[in-house]
Amino acid sequence: MNVDFSPELEAFRAEVAEFFATAPTPAIREAGRKTTSVFAPFKQCMEWHKILFEKGWVAPHWPVEHGGTGWSVQQRFIFAEEYRKADLPPLLPQSLGMIGPLLIDLGTEEQRAKYLPGILNGDDFWAQGYSEPGAGSDLAALSCRAEPDGDDYIINGSKIWTTYAHHANRMFLLVRTSTEGKKQAGITFLLLDRMDYPGMEVRPIYGVDGFPEQCEVFFEDVRVPQAGRVGEENQGWTVAKHLLKHERGGGSSRAPAMAHYLASAKEAASNTPSAFGGMMVDDPVFQAELGALEAEVASLSHMERLAISGHPIAHDPAFPSIAKTFNSELQQDISVLMSRLSGVDGLARQIEALRVGSNVEPLGSEFDLIAMPLYLNSRAASIYAGSNEVQRDLIARSLAMN
Amino acid sequence: MDFAFSQEQDMLRESVSRYLEKNYDFDTRQALVRSDDAWSSEVWTQFAELGLLALPFSEDNGGLGGSIADCVAFAQSFGKHLVVEPYAYAIMLAGAALEASDNESAAEWIEKLASGTSIVAFAYEEGAGTSTPDMIRTAATPDGDGFTISGEKRLVIAGAQADAIIVVARVGEDGPVGFFMVDKDAPGVSITSYDTIDGRSAAKIGFKDVKVDASGVLLKDASAALEGILVGAIIVQSAEAVGAMEALLATTTEYAMTRKQFDKPIIMFQAVAHRLSDMKIAYTKALSTLTFTTALANSGAATSRDISVLKGQLGTLGRSIGEAAIQTHGGVGMTDELNVSHYHKRLLAYDAQLGDHAYHLRKIGQAA
Repeated sequence: MNVDFSPELEAFRAEVAEFFATAPTPAIREAGRKTTSVFAPFKQCMEWHKILFEKGWVAPHWPVEHGGTGWSVQQRFIFAEEYRKADLPPLLPQSLGMIGPLLIDLGTEEQRAKYLPGILNGDDFWAQGYSEPGAGSDLAALSCRAEPDGDDYIINGSKIWTTYAHHANRMFLLVRTSTEGKKQAGITFLLLDRMDYPGMEVRPIYGVDGFPEQCEVFFEDVRVPQAGRVGEENQGWTVAKHLLKHERGGGSSRAPAMAHYLASAKEAASNTPSAFGGMMVDDPVFQAELGALEAEVASLSHMERLAISGHPIAHDPAFPSIAKTFNSELQQDISVLMSRLSGVDGLARQIEALRVGSNVEPLGSEFDLIAMPLYLNSRAASIYAGSNEVQRDLIARSLAMN
Repeated sequence: MDFAFSQEQDMLRESVSRYLEKNYDFDTRQALVRSDDAWSSEVWTQFAELGLLALPFSEDNGGLGGSIADCVAFAQSFGKHLVVEPYAYAIMLAGAALEASDNESAAEWIEKLASGTSIVAFAYEEGAGTSTPDMIRTAATPDGDGFTISGEKRLVIAGAQADAIIVVARVGEDGPVGFFMVDKDAPGVSITSYDTIDGRSAAKIGFKDVKVDASGVLLKDASAALEGILVGAIIVQSAEAVGAMEALLATTTEYAMTRKQFDKPIIMFQAVAHRLSDMKIAYTKALSTLTFTTALANSGAATSRDISVLKGQLGTLGRSIGEAAIQTHGGVGMTDELNVSHYHKRLLAYDAQLGDHAYHLRKIGQAA
């Protein structure tokens, strides 16, 4: 048992920090500071994606032969830590975190050759078409229909809560290809090369924070090639479950971002007077709350490092659900503390000031600008990627099977 | 970065676990707790034979030079079996204090401790958790070439049974704390023995102008040593706590799968299932934090914040797992007969000692 801190690692840290200090444009930095969601502002996020690609650092978690960096666990964590310290926009998870790893695991040779380059270099952005109006937590109840027709499928139905579909040029989705037998047995996993097929329509949904992050996607007799199928027809549920492992964050590192938010809360608290005298940062109740959250973030970081290093803890079939439940609820708790600190200053609706490149100045501090939108957006954390109720069902089911 | 136990550590863990499985089942443990004996001298002798008592001592002192990870490797099974023998206090605290001593009298005690022939108690706590050594008020006043000790200590584990007592006392008004070896039969020492809620033997010990001669002055300025010594004890007790949590999760899952109400196993009810999954999440957090912090400490890189994270998190998580286990078991969870309540009391005791979760968590939030 040991944790190494070699001079080589410190040199690596310096190299990463230097790159983060020099490579991003001012707009990319502004987008990082104004990120109030898992999903950073699209345009600058993709610009940053391309810069990281040029550097060869866009997909540290991918296998080296497909464009990964081949870094050690410690290096990956140093990278994640420095990334957050630099307050840069997180890359969008759908492409590099979901469909890329899925195609590496389960795609055909042709599919990998066709799609992985665009995923890596940032030319493509993929939307994830899972949920439907009638299929949320009960995802297998989905009814968006794909009928085989020659070498094509004809799709009819709709998808909802499709993040950034209005920015996407490609889409992966689950469709119903059979109504025979169990509902899980009639699902197929499809890749769409375009978002502008005839009969396809994307409608953004404005969210609780005032931003159009989610979308509805409608399909009316949309003809797509069957070559975009991953796995066999009616075997899509297995493919989807495989992808969920990546989506729920089993092997990712969310802790550095949360540590960063807590650091910003502490800084804000040092400038916020307490009604009981002194500053909030000196208030015993605030200290207790902050300390409890910092300790939770530390535990999350411990768990993530163990997982990345291949510790048996991550081989537990319930681990993705454990990690997802833990990190989503912690994210929410942190956002509660932040929005409380911002107080009435968080009540100002500052949509325009939050836009990257806006010439509207925030009414108060940048902390007050983001705290409330972050809180509101974080409500989604316990809903997306399988609601936390579903996660807890899965954890209990795996306990019962051991 | 390596979070796995070595082959040797796995072997040590397995041999301790095998011994306890065979000789320390819950009924045997309960019979021991109800007997007049504070603990089993036979078990203690066996710990000596397994090498556990000599393990953390340096080879120069006749020990095995074991690491903190070695101790963590087997301490989880201490928690699983609710061991009442005073390992953490006699070996990790008193033993380490003796090793830190610059007095030649210490060597003899180390030899006796490591071989299992003597028990030395560590009188540190003064009530209210004694979260930090700053709270130590027991006074050591210079007196000739020795000191005079006055004050009162609480929760001195094995205090009534020990052959000698190491007292942590403050030298002068604002001076550093030091380690002083007190003969339990010395004039001015008054010992009130009691059992703890988790089955261990403890004592409240008063010291009224108790004389310690030069041979008993183990370390006049123990501030730096004490910090490291507390870290070792906290990590070992944390491993015991994780062992108790694991046992509670397993036994509660099994109960929820077999106990039927309204014609089905209660795990089929979502409220029960979700409480169980929260126990699993809490256990996974606790195990992760123990493992990572042990690796840090093993590399000499654990900061006081890291230790506060461990103690604060496990205190909170242990309590929540214990309370959930009792609630899931219903009435039988409230009984003395079932092991569930005993695990919970062990976890409560873990939280209360050496700074409870509220202290450690606020300390994290307070840090500049």
